[in-house]
Amino acid sequence: MSKDFDIKNIAKLASINLSEDEQKELDNDLSIILEHVKALSDLKLDTEQKEIFIHPLEKELELQEDKLVESLTHEEALSNAPKSKDGKFVVPPSME
Amino acid sequence: MDITNLPIRKINTLFSKKELKPSELYSQIFDNAANSEASLHAHLTLFEDENIKKAKESDSRFDSGTAESLLDGIPIAIKDNINIKGYKTTCSSKMLSNYTSPYDATVIKKLKESQTLFTGKTNLDEFAMGSSTENSAFGLTRNPWNTDFVPGGSSGGSAASVGARSSIAALGSDTGGSIRQPASFCGLVGFKPTYGTVSRYGLIAFASSLDQIGPITKTVDDSRIIFSAISGDDPRDATSIVNNQVDIPSGKSAKIGVIKELMEDGISDEAKNEVNKVTEILKSNGYEVKEISIPIIELAISIYYLIAPAECSANLARFDGVRYGLRVDGNTSYEMMENTRAEGFGKEVKRRILLGTYALSAGYYDEYYGKALQARKEMIDEFTKAFDEVDYLISPTTPTQAFKAGEKTSNPLEMYMSDLCTIPANLAGLPAISIPTGITNENLPLGVQVMSRALSDHSLLNFSEIIEKEIQFNQQPKGWV
Repeated sequence: MSKDFDIKNIAKLASINLSEDEQKELDNDLSIILEHVKALSDLKLDTEQKEIFIHPLEKELELQEDKLVESLTHEEALSNAPKSKDGKFVVPPSME
Repeated sequence: MDITNLPIRKINTLFSKKELKPSELYSQIFDNAANSEASLHAHLTLFEDENIKKAKESDSRFDSGTAESLLDGIPIAIKDNINIKGYKTTCSSKMLSNYTSPYDATVIKKLKESQTLFTGKTNLDEFAMGSSTENSAFGLTRNPWNTDFVPGGSSGGSAASVGARSSIAALGSDTGGSIRQPASFCGLVGFKPTYGTVSRYGLIAFASSLDQIGPITKTVDDSRIIFSAISGDDPRDATSIVNNQVDIPSGKSAKIGVIKELMEDGISDEAKNEVNKVTEILKSNGYEVKEISIPIIELAISIYYLIAPAECSANLARFDGVRYGLRVDGNTSYEMMENTRAEGFGKEVKRRILLGTYALSAGYYDEYYGKALQARKEMIDEFTKAFDEVDYLISPTTPTQAFKAGEKTSNPLEMYMSDLCTIPANLAGLPAISIPTGITNENLPLGVQVMSRALSDHSLLNFSEIIEKEIQFNQQPKGWV
């Protein structure tokens, strides 16, 4: 397995602003962990016969009946919002 | 008689005979919490005042003979990643320090229907990511047996609370051992039910294909009572299943396997001795015990640390400063999200989100996540084969006894290794339980884990109860009651 990764790029993908110190530390941590999980690449499986895992008990998803059920009220759904106005979440602009 | 040391069924009998009132037990529980909280920090919130009225209502039901539930008036602590309407659910994270639940988790709804009394919300590793409860943004929890040591994690607060008798039982959640490992470290029973038997609705998600709610209790029977109350399929959790239990033998005709790969290097002699002690007792009682090999268990940590972080990175994407939780301002929405997540998440959570983001990113998906999924299927197949030969699988719950606070915080991989024995049950969706069996030279408890095939939870509990009766652990940490 490859070890090449760019911690800045991963942080960007994960939308987390990392300080220089954090970048250094997490870069090191991820290297150690990825080195360990490399063991998996030596595992030889007959991949053609191994279907991809979805649910441990192989439960299949079912469609629910189309009926109204109790859910949060509008006010409850907004009750933890850092900022809201006129029943809507308020966020900064998407572009400067 | 110490009433807080009694099992649930016995307490219920005393309530019914009017020899004890729920409100008396409730106030004794809070006396215990007052005694231990400053030293242990098991709880993030305690609910004493608001629930006195509920305890009195429970008194009235027993007075009038209308109490119907075994859990009526039983004080239970709840891990702080499970929503109780009107109370904070912080997940021990700065991200959710001001989040108040607008709804009840399904398990809470069910416990309310059983007239349970909630004592408070217990500390955990942030978002249930950790094995020591040191990753809490609100300070670590300590082990009631010796406060220099960790209580385990991530449900360490729940285990410390029951251990110090500040609650009769507690709910935890188990993604890679977070119920069983702290139960073992604190001398308690910890039960992770079959995946899907208990609804995850209202449990703040970490790794959805692995997360499962379950009890931490003093006895196997207490775990059985709570499991019976909280299980059942739920239209609000698409992965929940109808709890159609299969019966497997728990008496002497049951065949027992000891997992070879969990009795090798990396497991302490003390932990192996506990397993040997249990198997010797079973053999002397006429059980057939043999060694079973499940080779892929050697890759369990690698599989887990790709799948769990991958799911975590997707689940925790919801914490973006928009709908709930912390917001740190920025000039644009993206800046606001990046700043919020930088400030709101602790180190271990960031580590796992980044690891998962990488494992799922373009060009690496097949190499990491895809491979881990295939290996997970292989693990399920190997367990299925093992259960063709035996009914129960025994192993240590943890490679060692509890470790000291600070001992494993500098090397993430070393901390991850403490879940070596517990992770396989989550990957395979199996029921697994930790039963306290002994005390180490340093006077710390240790447990043994038993696993069985999917949906044989009640048989597993019956078999565990046989071990419990033979072992007669009957010990508790001193100085808190």
